[in-house]
Amino acid sequence: MLSFILRRLLIIIPMALLVVTLTWGLIRIAPGNFYSSEKKLPPAIEENIKKKYGLDKAWYEQYGLMILRIVQLDFGDSLKYQGQTVNEIIARHLPYSATIGIFAYLMALVIGLAAGIIAALRQNSLWDYGSMALAMLGLSVPNFVFGPILVLFFGLGLYLFPPARWGGFSALVLPVITLSAIYAAYIARLTRAGMLEVMRSDYIRTARAKGLDEKTILLRHALRGGIIPVVSFTGPALAGLLAGTVVVERVFAIPGLGNIFIQSVLNRDEPLTLGIVAFLSILIMVFNLVVDISYGFLDPRIRYE
Amino acid sequence: MAETQFSRSQILIVLILSSFIAGCTTSANSRYFGQTAPPKDNVMRYVTGGEIESLDPPITNSQGDARILIALFDGLVEYHPKTMEPIPSIAESWEISPDGTEYLFHLRNNARFSNGDPIMANDFVYSFRRGFSPELASRNAYLGYYIKYSEAYNSGRSFVKNADGSFLLKKDFSEVSVGAQTHDTLGTNSEFHHFLDSPERLSVPSSEKERTAALDKDAKLKAAIQGKEFVPVKAEDIGVEAVDDYTLRLKLYQPAPYFLGLLAHQFFRVVPRKVIEKYGNNWTRIENIVTAGSYKLAEHRPYDILAVVRDPNNWDAANVKLDRIEFYPLDEQTTMMNLYKAGSVDALYNHTVPAAWFDQIKQYTAEYSLQPEVADEFYVINVKKPPMDKLKVRQAFALAIDRESLSKFRKTLKPLVDMTPEGVFPKYEEARDKVYTEELKKQGSSLAEWKARIFDPEKARKLLAEAGFAVTKNGETYSCPSFPVDKTTITYNTAESNKAVAEFVQAQWKQNLGITVSIKNMEFRTFLPLLNKVDYEGFARRGWVGDYMDPYTFLSLYYSETNEGATGWWDPKFDKLLDDANNTVDPQKRFEIMAQAEFYVMQQQIIIPLGTSTTSWMKKPYIKGFYPNPGTLQPWKFAYIERDPAKWTTNMDTIMKEDDPAVTAQVNQLMATQEQMKKSKSTDVVETKTAAAN
Repeated sequence: MLSFILRRLLIIIPMALLVVTLTWGLIRIAPGNFYSSEKKLPPAIEENIKKKYGLDKAWYEQYGLMILRIVQLDFGDSLKYQGQTVNEIIARHLPYSATIGIFAYLMALVIGLAAGIIAALRQNSLWDYGSMALAMLGLSVPNFVFGPILVLFFGLGLYLFPPARWGGFSALVLPVITLSAIYAAYIARLTRAGMLEVMRSDYIRTARAKGLDEKTILLRHALRGGIIPVVSFTGPALAGLLAGTVVVERVFAIPGLGNIFIQSVLNRDEPLTLGIVAFLSILIMVFNLVVDISYGFLDPRIRYE
Repeated sequence: MAETQFSRSQILIVLILSSFIAGCTTSANSRYFGQTAPPKDNVMRYVTGGEIESLDPPITNSQGDARILIALFDGLVEYHPKTMEPIPSIAESWEISPDGTEYLFHLRNNARFSNGDPIMANDFVYSFRRGFSPELASRNAYLGYYIKYSEAYNSGRSFVKNADGSFLLKKDFSEVSVGAQTHDTLGTNSEFHHFLDSPERLSVPSSEKERTAALDKDAKLKAAIQGKEFVPVKAEDIGVEAVDDYTLRLKLYQPAPYFLGLLAHQFFRVVPRKVIEKYGNNWTRIENIVTAGSYKLAEHRPYDILAVVRDPNNWDAANVKLDRIEFYPLDEQTTMMNLYKAGSVDALYNHTVPAAWFDQIKQYTAEYSLQPEVADEFYVINVKKPPMDKLKVRQAFALAIDRESLSKFRKTLKPLVDMTPEGVFPKYEEARDKVYTEELKKQGSSLAEWKARIFDPEKARKLLAEAGFAVTKNGETYSCPSFPVDKTTITYNTAESNKAVAEFVQAQWKQNLGITVSIKNMEFRTFLPLLNKVDYEGFARRGWVGDYMDPYTFLSLYYSETNEGATGWWDPKFDKLLDDANNTVDPQKRFEIMAQAEFYVMQQQIIIPLGTSTTSWMKKPYIKGFYPNPGTLQPWKFAYIERDPAKWTTNMDTIMKEDDPAVTAQVNQLMATQEQMKKSKSTDVVETKTAAAN
């Protein structure tokens, strides 16, 4: 088990460097740069800028310096926002995304699990059809439609919640609902499918034959196996949620990491883009590892060498 | 699949229902848009665009950032809230030499930084020198290149010293004859001033590689600098001088009549030397920053809020009306509009109303403004590639767009057929009408005929035929089979509005010329290199926002061989006219020469004007002293919240003409010192004249 974890952790390093290298290459290929604007700069001014940011060096030199810094977990300074380091920008904006993400995921988990379990237990009933229809709706309405509809009703129609911006619990309500919808829908469908499969398995029949009451069967035996698909889904989903979701953050003007990420690409702010990409890829890999480890606890049949 | 279909129709029902209900709740009959009540506190909440790039004034060049920096840093002059003309700020008055190359500023002696340190002439000397330093690498530095030797310093150049200690002079190596400028020294003379006032020295690149490259083109110069000593141009050489603690002298290398107005730009605002030297790049952090404006920084959470509060140390603090301004950095237009409607912000910046909202918004005349801006939209033409190398083809395409309909379609554009925007330079337009009338008379035409360029499909087809591309009429439609459509495209940077205009123009040309031009969109930063290298076929979309309130900011786009006009066009005759104009002291005469230049370039039809931009911004009626001026650059100390609904803004269309006694009094009070200076100068002149007569 320990060697498994160690091996996986070690793989993360070259993988992250590979992702960073690919991203760096893509940024380099993309035309334009962080200082370009509608007004063409005199060549001398462009030279000054290049010299200031080390862009006058050869590409392999720039690449080497960049990798050297990143290995030391220093992502350098933002090109666009003078005097701010990439590390401090990520640290500053992560909490916003994480707050919304965690609340959204908790909400999705509660709604999704409940709906999925009910649907599975009452298969082909009105409950089943109703909750699955809602789940389908949640999956097929994109959040850039769902968010504005919520804003229209509750932000601008009834003036119940602020239509955008960070600040206080009431400002969290609409973005959290928007964000959780699709995850709740996924979880509901995954739970239903997982539960249906497990409820028909031999060990549940054995449990019933032993004379265990339905509650124990459901909570101790069925649920543990039934939610394994949900757990697999949770890893990447949670990593994505924590690191920010572009659409929701832009619609609700939340100063989260997703918003910053998009802006950094549009601004051609190379160090910032690289930093966020590296951070995000490490986060996803770590969460996947955690998910893999948790399988062992949920399903006694899974063992790690 | 039945399940999926069911949910789709459900979505549709939900969508229809929600838009219906939302429509009902937006109370169509209300006079104002959404929640309209002044905030409890004396605080204004504003959206100025995305997150500010830097709080270091010379670094950033976006308009949105400029609006925040106007609150935080004062300069020598400030923008007039309505006209944007320069009004006194830290300089309470100024004098300009008759030849227009020397400026003397009298600073007020009660100006202070936010930490209480006095602001003196030397602080401006420091700020200017720092702005031009190559290490700072300011993108705005070119704005100040009129200041003598600033360009040489900023571009890392060197003077060339002879063995006898004298220096090579520019006039000996330049084809353009620079008229000898003579004037009386403004203020007390000094050795440094003597240096600045002597003929301009020649400068060459300091780095040997660049120098060799530059000299290979100029044999005479190459021979002249052989074996000479190169003396790098230093910060101390540029034409900025503290005559005494409260007097600042600027020396330009050539007259630039709009230079005074340019000084309100953030690049020229004063920064605190001590703090910058102590903290370096980190001086703008909230824990270190010291400012010099009507407001000081109170709070900064990037991408969330930047708040400023009134600075009691400011020289004009008594006249600063709002206690606090909160800037919300936002990028999504719809989100801004939502916040505005919910009453969470009091005003937005320009061009924030999404096209889909126009029809609903335009009824709120007390809040929505469409004032002309010092900005226009046009298509540049690549004049080097056929068939656009033919003048008649270019003219034909320009004439075949119905600009009145375009303006009705794209509601924020006002019809335009010239290079400089309409309605922001009234005195220039007067001069232009006069010059155009004379010039057109010579050609046997008239101003009325010239103005018909707004739309003339008949003439367009005729010109196209004359260029060798006959247009044939088939019933109600036209066709032009011989025209090489594969070589003409409209390229534009991705934006909903640019796409709409491109499609409109495409339809116009199809309808009026029978030519279907393809359209192509590109992400902004991908589009820019294409534009700069003139690497497009046919037409490319361009918008231009003036840097200062003078038509020169539009005409100079096509000045010099390396111009940034992105058309591939250059003509020394045009350059000569612009040089002549800037060497003319009389403002109206100068405008007339510039009008000749504009006439000249418009006859070449290197661009297709589409329209003058309009502000398209909103403010709540209770925000006053805050105007849709041509650059949407408002000095914040004039803005205030009016709590009496009877005095609220009722019509944004007339807001620029209405007199607000509070604002007028404030402007007059500021102008008083300069008016007095002018008066004393004119009495001086009278006295000298009388003395001479005696």
